[in-house]
Amino acid sequence: MGRDVTIGARPDGALAGAGIGLRAPHVADVITTRPHVAWLEVHAENYMGGGAARHALTRIRADYPIALHGVGLSLGGADDLDAGHLRRLRRLVDEIQPVLVSEHLAWSVAGGSYLNHLLPLPYTEESLDVVCAHVTRAQEVLGRYLLMENPSAYLRFEHSPIPEPDFLGEIARRTGCGLLCDVNNIHVSAHNLGFDPVAYIDALPAGAIGEIHLAGHSANDADGQTVLIDDHGSRVAPEVWRLYAHAIAAFGGRPTLVEWDTDIPALDVLLDEARHAERVASHACRGAASALAR
Amino acid sequence: MRAGGLPLRSLGDLQDLVRRALLGGPAQGVVSLIAADGIAPEARLDIYRHHVVASLTAALETTYPVVCRLIDRRFFTYAADAFIRSHPPTGPCLFEYGAELAGFLADFPPCRHLEYLPDMARLEWALNVAAHADDAAPISPSALESVAPARVGELRFAFDPSLSLLRSAWPIDRIWRANQAEVGAEPIVNLRAGGVCLEIRRRDDVVGFHELTEADYTLRRALLDDERLDTAAEAARGVDPALDLAGLLGALLQDNVLVGFSLAPGPAAPA
Repeated sequence: MGRDVTIGARPDGALAGAGIGLRAPHVADVITTRPHVAWLEVHAENYMGGGAARHALTRIRADYPIALHGVGLSLGGADDLDAGHLRRLRRLVDEIQPVLVSEHLAWSVAGGSYLNHLLPLPYTEESLDVVCAHVTRAQEVLGRYLLMENPSAYLRFEHSPIPEPDFLGEIARRTGCGLLCDVNNIHVSAHNLGFDPVAYIDALPAGAIGEIHLAGHSANDADGQTVLIDDHGSRVAPEVWRLYAHAIAAFGGRPTLVEWDTDIPALDVLLDEARHAERVASHACRGAASALAR
Repeated sequence: MRAGGLPLRSLGDLQDLVRRALLGGPAQGVVSLIAADGIAPEARLDIYRHHVVASLTAALETTYPVVCRLIDRRFFTYAADAFIRSHPPTGPCLFEYGAELAGFLADFPPCRHLEYLPDMARLEWALNVAAHADDAAPISPSALESVAPARVGELRFAFDPSLSLLRSAWPIDRIWRANQAEVGAEPIVNLRAGGVCLEIRRRDDVVGFHELTEADYTLRRALLDDERLDTAAEAARGVDPALDLAGLLGALLQDNVLVGFSLAPGPAAPA
């Protein structure tokens, strides 16, 4: 990595408080009402063209810190990274000057097809080498560190010997990237794959966590069993708030984002969730501090 | 060898198997690699398969709302499923997904009788391109003053990347308008009302289309296809010998659709 790399992933970064994921139905509302919210995050791939969407983002950038959340780099893909897509992301980063840039521990491209899903990896040494090489390459092109988000999962491969938090920790150690801890994803995966979500959080390297995501999920039936679906279509569930409080107590305060992508409600509902996240975090920090003092 | 006796797969092989299974191919090879954990591996894989198809269908519906309305959402979902399998996206920007839908619908047996449908898909694709195309600054009318009059015929132009031209044998502009949400009582469009030439583009962030005369369409089509101005003018005169070429060129410049020009050498126009 060059010396000019901006560290956008450190827990003592400029972002404090909770933000919301900005989606198309709320863009005009945000421009006209300029709501009180600490920061906004957008999906990078939605702003890689020109026109009204891009111009709106430029206007909003003047008023709010913006984080770019990529969904399309396929950093866990065995195929080479899409150099053209990486260049487009660099161009967007240069123009928007985001406070954070994040991507996923997942793959979505194989054989030239983009599958529009964050697909699971087997956690092997081979996968680790692939992801680390791709994260390193992406960070070189972007000229800054990424945050890597833990996925929500509905399956695990038989041969996947490295536990996911260890896998994430090793990516951070080898590449210098930070981690984006999606607490809802941990809850969903823990239910679907049968692991302890609290132990998972405790196994993450706290110092590498640069952002936290929160969202709602739904329950569905698969093969007669309940599976949790990470659909970002409702308020954050009570169990996820509890897990979030545990994460804040474990990591310390971190920039936190509320995402909502299906059945998107009025902007006020998202803002309300963000304010609730700030209250939960502040309570968890005080709790952790008083526990330390005892 | 794994404990189960199956060979270890490389990551690339595994991802290729998953890709095929998610796009409707055989799933056995993947299923045997998935831990059951109380839920059948097939059911676990189905969750991903459902999301891939449902999310891409939603992306296509966003780009093609009128096509969806014309053939009913259930049939659109059926057609989209077949389209996604044969034409999965090649990149992660979903506003760039679905360019081939018009050609697909033209060859899709269940809707061959809807002859205007592929052209409606072409119109909606052009509107989508117009909405998301990169921004480009138009040349000023005075920019051409430096071109020697004797060489004006050699000019080639670069167009606003948001612009598309579309000629249809059907009144697709009227069909499109009749299928907008804000239209109350749906007007009846006479399919035999004749065809139309359209220019689709974005202007000040607003996407729209307007009708062109056949001659104007021919001129702009030729220029968009990188023909020289004299060749394009000749083609337009072939459509309308009495056309006001100076007027059409003036309009081209005033419309802010030209973003560059060149005098690069190329085959001369026929005398």
